[in-house]
Amino acid sequence: MGLLSILRKLKSAPDQEVRILLLGLDNGGKTTLLKQLASEDISHITPTQGFNIKSVQSQGFKLNVWDIGGQRKIRPYWRNYFENTDVLIYVIDSADRKRFEETGQELAELLDEEKLSGVPVLIFANKQDLLTAAPASEIAEGLNLHTIRDRVWQIQSCSALTGEGIQEGMNWACKSVNSKKK
Amino acid sequence: MLAYIWQYVYTSFLRYWLKWFIRQATGRCELQRICSGYKPGATRTIKAEYSLQSSKSKVLRGALEADQDKLDQCVGQIMKVKNIKPQKDPLFKGSLYVCLLQITGHSSLYLSVEDLRKEVFNSDNQEHEAALLKLWDLLMPTVKLESRITKQWGDIGFQGDDPKTDFRGMGMLGLINLVFFSENYTEEARQVLSHANHPKLGYSYAIVGINLTEMAYSLLRSGTLKPHFYNTVQGKPELQHFHQLYSYLAYEFDKFWMAEEPESIMQFNQYREKFHNRIKAHLQDPDVSLTLTVRCDKN
Repeated sequence: MGLLSILRKLKSAPDQEVRILLLGLDNGGKTTLLKQLASEDISHITPTQGFNIKSVQSQGFKLNVWDIGGQRKIRPYWRNYFENTDVLIYVIDSADRKRFEETGQELAELLDEEKLSGVPVLIFANKQDLLTAAPASEIAEGLNLHTIRDRVWQIQSCSALTGEGIQEGMNWACKSVNSKKK
Repeated sequence: MLAYIWQYVYTSFLRYWLKWFIRQATGRCELQRICSGYKPGATRTIKAEYSLQSSKSKVLRGALEADQDKLDQCVGQIMKVKNIKPQKDPLFKGSLYVCLLQITGHSSLYLSVEDLRKEVFNSDNQEHEAALLKLWDLLMPTVKLESRITKQWGDIGFQGDDPKTDFRGMGMLGLINLVFFSENYTEEARQVLSHANHPKLGYSYAIVGINLTEMAYSLLRSGTLKPHFYNTVQGKPELQHFHQLYSYLAYEFDKFWMAEEPESIMQFNQYREKFHNRIKAHLQDPDVSLTLTVRCDKN
């Protein structure tokens, strides 16, 4: 199906390896996003215990995507995966308004991490297929994204379920790979 | 390539002539030889399934998809087509009937499992809610749940304050498996839960359970579980047999995990894969039976 095969055609020359870290609260849609990127079936997904990793080709890059479980109990392990990250993708369930504060705190803590300093961050405002989803602009405001000065960032509304918005987000991620601020 | 050509020649011509030749020599058709030559179980049923599948006769192939209550007629029709006289082979009818019951039963078991899987956990459904609360009471008999939405769910291995988001792609199948294991093997389930809450080797009991439901489900879907069901159920396998198999996986995975002593829960998928391969290796054995044996089995 679509996405990946189109991206494959655009592929050129030897691939630059890119390490992408997928983080966010549990039930945000990280694994669905990962499977969608790899053009895999998304109908039998279970909660992630530990992590998943997949490599996908995109725009002359070999993306090694690490999807780490989001439950509170394993968030302390997130830091074990920070090293050498090229792009951080933070996934938010846009319909889970009750946990906006919690997700904002986790994101703020990540942005304070020394090992992630200067790493470009893409925020996926996921689950836009749900009627109750907050628009990306509202989430950006709630999270005070405009105060981020030490790195490039982007917020992209998407639906990992339908695939909408994912390609746009990944295009941005690939473009910003080499813009890490030292 | 050579193997491929041989395979083609064998299945399209040789097999047919070989069968004809043996039939002339022994006076019995392939199905009769299978039914009388093997004891009831996986080997016999799988051979019968293959024989029916590759038959040139519509009647024989059709029997694989027949309704449960029409199997008697199917066996009669097959005996007519194959010119099998009940007087000469009195046991054939009963044997083939059981084989067909197992084969068609496996397909209908998959459909029932799939229906449960597709049933999304819904907080407005009282049955769903009752099952969830029952799970808590079975696992935590001395602790009262403070409210429906609470951090306590973490104590039995759900991710957040409300378990409803954890069932995901496994739907009610995941919950019903968890409840079945806790209800029918209460002591074992509590023992597994206490291991899961181990400070160093711990894992999330409910989440791992839902992942093991996914394992059981994909093994069923791919047909890999056939030998297990053909050996353990001499008839139509029912949902409870699937829940039994889940109970086996939940209990055995815990034993496996505790014995392997992984560094942390982050290694889960790696060990899951290793466990999965072990189960698949067991299923290669024609005498396989993945049954949970405990000191006093209530079932």
